[in-house]
Amino acid sequence: MKKEVNYSNEFLKGLWDINPVFKQVLGMCPVLAVTVSAINGLAMGLATTFVLVFSSLIVSLIRKIVPNQVRIATFIVIISTFVTIVDLVMKAKFPELSKALGPFIPLIVVNCLILGRMEAFASKNSVIRSLLDSTGNGIGFMLALIVLGSIRELLGNRTIFGFQVLPELYTPMLVMILPAGAFLTLGLLMGLSNWYVKKKEQEEIELIFSGYRSATTLNTQTELN
Amino acid sequence: MTVERSDSLNQFELKISPHLHSGWTTKKVMWYVNLSLLPCVISAVIFFGWQQLFIIFTSIFFACGTEALIQKLSKRKISIDDGSAVLTGLLLALTLPPNFSLWATAIGSAFAIGIGKQVFGGLGFNIFNPALVGRAFLQAAFPVQITTWTMPNYSIDSVTLATPLAAFKFDKIITPLSSMLIGNVGGCIGETSGIAILLGGLFLIAVRIVNWRIPLSIIIGVFIFGGIFFLIDPMEYPSPIFHIFAGGFLLGAFFMATDYVTSPVTAKGMYIFGLGIALVLVIIRLFGGLPEGVMYAILFMNAFVPIINRYTLPEPFGLRK
Amino acid sequence: MKQVIKIIAVLTSIGIISGGVLASVSNWANPFIEKNKKEATEKAIFLVQPEAKYYERFDFSDMEVYKVYDYDKELVGYVVVNQGNGFQGPIRVIFGLSKDLQRITAIDVLEQVETPGLGTLITEDDFKNQFKNLLIVPMIEWVKGKPPSKDNEIKAITGATISSKATVQIINDGINKLKKRLNDE
Repeated sequence: MKKEVNYSNEFLKGLWDINPVFKQVLGMCPVLAVTVSAINGLAMGLATTFVLVFSSLIVSLIRKIVPNQVRIATFIVIISTFVTIVDLVMKAKFPELSKALGPFIPLIVVNCLILGRMEAFASKNSVIRSLLDSTGNGIGFMLALIVLGSIRELLGNRTIFGFQVLPELYTPMLVMILPAGAFLTLGLLMGLSNWYVKKKEQEEIELIFSGYRSATTLNTQTELN
Repeated sequence: MTVERSDSLNQFELKISPHLHSGWTTKKVMWYVNLSLLPCVISAVIFFGWQQLFIIFTSIFFACGTEALIQKLSKRKISIDDGSAVLTGLLLALTLPPNFSLWATAIGSAFAIGIGKQVFGGLGFNIFNPALVGRAFLQAAFPVQITTWTMPNYSIDSVTLATPLAAFKFDKIITPLSSMLIGNVGGCIGETSGIAILLGGLFLIAVRIVNWRIPLSIIIGVFIFGGIFFLIDPMEYPSPIFHIFAGGFLLGAFFMATDYVTSPVTAKGMYIFGLGIALVLVIIRLFGGLPEGVMYAILFMNAFVPIINRYTLPEPFGLRK
Repeated sequence: MKQVIKIIAVLTSIGIISGGVLASVSNWANPFIEKNKKEATEKAIFLVQPEAKYYERFDFSDMEVYKVYDYDKELVGYVVVNQGNGFQGPIRVIFGLSKDLQRITAIDVLEQVETPGLGTLITEDDFKNQFKNLLIVPMIEWVKGKPPSKDNEIKAITGATISSKATVQIINDGINKLKKRLNDE
């Protein structure tokens, strides 16, 4: 029996349905620490996505060779190889960015998001599905980081991606680019997303109910006829 | 459904406990506390000018507005008439420096109610004192503006003046006790006048709204911990008396630490709570980077209240171990 | 037994492959990283000693010190990199000194982890330019809340007194260490 595979869903689910930051709540250390500006969020998101996609590719390729007992060790070796590559390339070609992201690039190795995707998806699925899944998750992670970084940069420094958005009249709220601001912003965004999801669910239930109601009235009418 | 009752039972009124009520409702208590802060408001106007009323009104207005808005959005009963939001706004305003910008006051006030109180579920569920949460947020958001003290009665011109605590910490200048009692020194608008705060605080203790154990144990704690350092080196460390009348100590001890929701319920717990505040306060004031530490000391001990309550519960009578 | 051999084989080959890949990437990247480091040092040295054309590492035990020379290989002064504790962590400052150790040519902050928007103002030109041509005898002093009145004074940043003070202390400390060393020679 051939399994029906919805490829576009494999990619899209990472953006919202299982968004690494808002739904899985994974990789909180970089999310909170590096999002002082939108550009830092973008860079961290890109680095993580790169590591995620390539580790997924390799893990999925060798998933049938790796013995179950040493799978975690293998994943870690593969992930750390790619992280070291990112770290070296950044140091060589983008020294400014590497300085700004500091110790967080090497720490991608222990980002639960990456090991989580390896364990939960790439080690069990085909190469194409793993690539789609990891790209979706990586981009979902990156978008969340950019949103968080933009909000914090805007309120704490008047700018987004370095461009001044708010007028001089606005006194920047320093707390937003301090660690406390990261927790506040993330908490409020998560609250907002949960509120939206709940509202949507409620609407869906209402829809099903109303559909059921009209169906029953229709049924009774036909019965009467 | 109705339950049929026999005629003899009908003359009794059925009620669940508690059966004795002191007559003090939350509403009445809150408005009494608001009233007792009146001397502080007056001292603020006298020493820093009538413009400070704008700060107070803005703060109260946005506190009530936020409370009403959130309660409306979450479809709960709007309860701004119980005076607790007014109290939060008023307390926050009194801990702000003179001529603080009004829109920042509004943000702090909305934050105090929104994040400090309503996020936890409203009155009675908050872990931290809402007014202090707002103050801590403003301190972190606008660190320069919130430590710019204008001189009493010089208002508007931004003649900056060090508070007694900052003067001591950075330049070892001791402000005379009489000025700190009267209130014509630099500081937050409601915290400078020792007499005004004591007037309100002692009134609250007299009508038994505020439990005397908390302020007393904080003061004793400052005498113990501050006194030890004063005895070690009187030149380097200020006397306990200075600790008590400088900065926001009195306002904190009488009005912030005694908040019903965020202080322990048992007598023993109150002593532990008060001594803890005093210890943290003395450590921050003497060794921290900031000159003042009342706010952080109270917030810090607020976090311990549930555990203090748990371990100081009196044993039920007759219960065997 | 077969399983054990398989485990060893898989782990070994993965280790070898990843080691090989990393070695080649590192070979490629290292020259760039070295170049970046050298460029950063040179840029900083010439920034704080605008008259310098050549520089030479001065053998020093616990600080980075450079002797700098002008176009005719004539000694124009020194460049010192010193670090100390700021408000939240270490601050690394580079500064240039005139040949006679009387004045600072300029300073730059290389690394700091101060409070964003407050302590980080020490990296802004408004603060750094105060050190240009500043008299350092007997030592640098700082004032608060009023403009500096003497040639060896700078104005501390409002709200970031501790970071400003730390920067001044780091510079004074570096000058003292260098003076002591030069006197010994």
